[in-house]
Amino acid sequence: MIEKIKGSIANIESKSNRIYFFVQDTRGNAKASIKYMYDMALTLKNEGYNVIMLYEKKEYTPVSSWLNSDYDVIEHQILEGTNLAISPEDTLVIPEIFGFIMEQVKNLPCGKIVLSQAYDHIYETISPGASWFQYGFHKCITTSDIQKTYITNNMKNVSIDVITPVISDVFVEPVFPPKTMIAMVSREQRDGVNIIKEFYNKYPQYRFFTFKDLRGLSHEEFANGLKDCFMSVWIDPTSSFGTFPLESMKMGIPVVGKVPNMVPEWMKEDNGVWIENHLQFTDVIADMVQTWLEDNVKPELYTNSKETASRYSDMEKFKSEVVFLFSDFINKRKEAFEAQILEQ
Amino acid sequence: MEEKLNLSVILPIKSAVVKDFDEFFDKAIKSLKIQQIGFNELIIVHTQEEQLVSKLKAYDFESLNVKLIEHTKEPNYQSQINLGIESASSEWVSFFEFDDEYSNIWFKNVKKYSELYSDVEAFLPIVVDVDHKDVFAGFTNEATFAANFTQEMGYLNNETLLDYQNFQTAGMVVKKSVLEDFGGFKSSMKLTFVYEFLLRITYNSVRIMTIPKIGYKHMSMREGSIFWSYKNGESTITNEEVKFWISTAKKEYFFSNDRDIKYEVQSV
Repeated sequence: MIEKIKGSIANIESKSNRIYFFVQDTRGNAKASIKYMYDMALTLKNEGYNVIMLYEKKEYTPVSSWLNSDYDVIEHQILEGTNLAISPEDTLVIPEIFGFIMEQVKNLPCGKIVLSQAYDHIYETISPGASWFQYGFHKCITTSDIQKTYITNNMKNVSIDVITPVISDVFVEPVFPPKTMIAMVSREQRDGVNIIKEFYNKYPQYRFFTFKDLRGLSHEEFANGLKDCFMSVWIDPTSSFGTFPLESMKMGIPVVGKVPNMVPEWMKEDNGVWIENHLQFTDVIADMVQTWLEDNVKPELYTNSKETASRYSDMEKFKSEVVFLFSDFINKRKEAFEAQILEQ
Repeated sequence: MEEKLNLSVILPIKSAVVKDFDEFFDKAIKSLKIQQIGFNELIIVHTQEEQLVSKLKAYDFESLNVKLIEHTKEPNYQSQINLGIESASSEWVSFFEFDDEYSNIWFKNVKKYSELYSDVEAFLPIVVDVDHKDVFAGFTNEATFAANFTQEMGYLNNETLLDYQNFQTAGMVVKKSVLEDFGGFKSSMKLTFVYEFLLRITYNSVRIMTIPKIGYKHMSMREGSIFWSYKNGESTITNEEVKFWISTAKKEYFFSNDRDIKYEVQSV
């Protein structure tokens, strides 16, 4: 027994203990939440940690189809039909949407972390009445203080850390001025389509404006697609962070969006056009279109939104937070192993 | 140092004996005075009409650099414009009408876009068309941005023009060298002289871009205006003649010179 524990300690010291990230298959579609996980994994990999991405089925589409090849260096492993070798010194990171997986791994003796980026997924697959703590998940990483508060009120006895996502450097202010294009991202496709149809019907004089649906594009195509847009429209009532508006703001594109149920902490009166009522969308878009055609958009809207986005662009800060959090988590596991030896 | 666009604005005027002339003219000149950046000169090409000449001579243009040029031949919009072009001393020229207004952001945007797109030799504004009561009637030149309309969004090319004619040159800013190389407006052409001009310069590979900003307000069908007179005035033209001038524009754009085309009613 002691030898096994000593082996675990040795593995931690040599960084050969594994950190597994359980990832969802985006089927080739860019997804900010998955990029966030891969950014964490790559950061740890570059720090010498033994990182493995776990995926459920063999049909998994590699993220290199929409993220750049930097992430190819991370090892991947399929879960279906294989015996997963998990040792006590290993760490398992599972997104909150996989409540059923948490239940399946509750008896594994490894370290367990919930990665919660979307509060509305927390209860999606978890058994009624169950909690993360019951499944042995005592640690959670989330993306904002406001989400931390929500989780604190919902999942007792779980320690929560915030690591804010970083808006990628591919989102840069374009050299050339935008065209008559409006970027649109909506959680439900029909919400976006309905707004477009209503807009053209109510304001036929603006039919020369084109709405650009940016779904299904790679990360860089997405950024390139945004370059020609003078405004972004964001419809995501259950958003918990708001990557798309921040990406737009970083490129100097003003955002018209509906205030989500969980108001992002970066959202201020003067850094976007935020509406409370979904029915206002087309009138506000039309107003913004006319204002832009007349060069009357307040300069402060551009400066404030860029300033907001710049606060979410520090990759070095993100990396140091990730390394600190994981090394601290793993070191505490090591200390626990050492305590076990002393007890024996 | 004041920011300035190297531009001559050409304003042809036929007559001051027009309803509300003073009001229109004041607004037009004011729209030049309030531009966010300066420009070189305003060239007014006027006829010999006494009322017009005396009004122009007495008018307070304040700090605008104004050249008054007399057009001594038969009044004609196209030849007045061409005379203005000859007198222009700037890299760029723009065509203005006394009942229209530039938006105050237009020259600033032309400067910005011309510095970014050095291959573009003519910029069209998005034009707000209003009726004689100043009520919004629609936009013009905006079609270059419509989905699947042109090969390159924002650019106007010859192929597109052959299918769709509704573009206008009022407020347009074009390099003087384009007009020297490929000719100005053809005086003999009625109705479609703007269309023929755009076909001609695009045929000669001149890059035309619409700047997606409201740059110009155009009053459509003002009583006494050239197009009003085609419909209601002394120079009324028939549907047959309309067809003639459209097909003529599509034939004549291959020629830089004005071949003195005349419409003649065919006898049956």
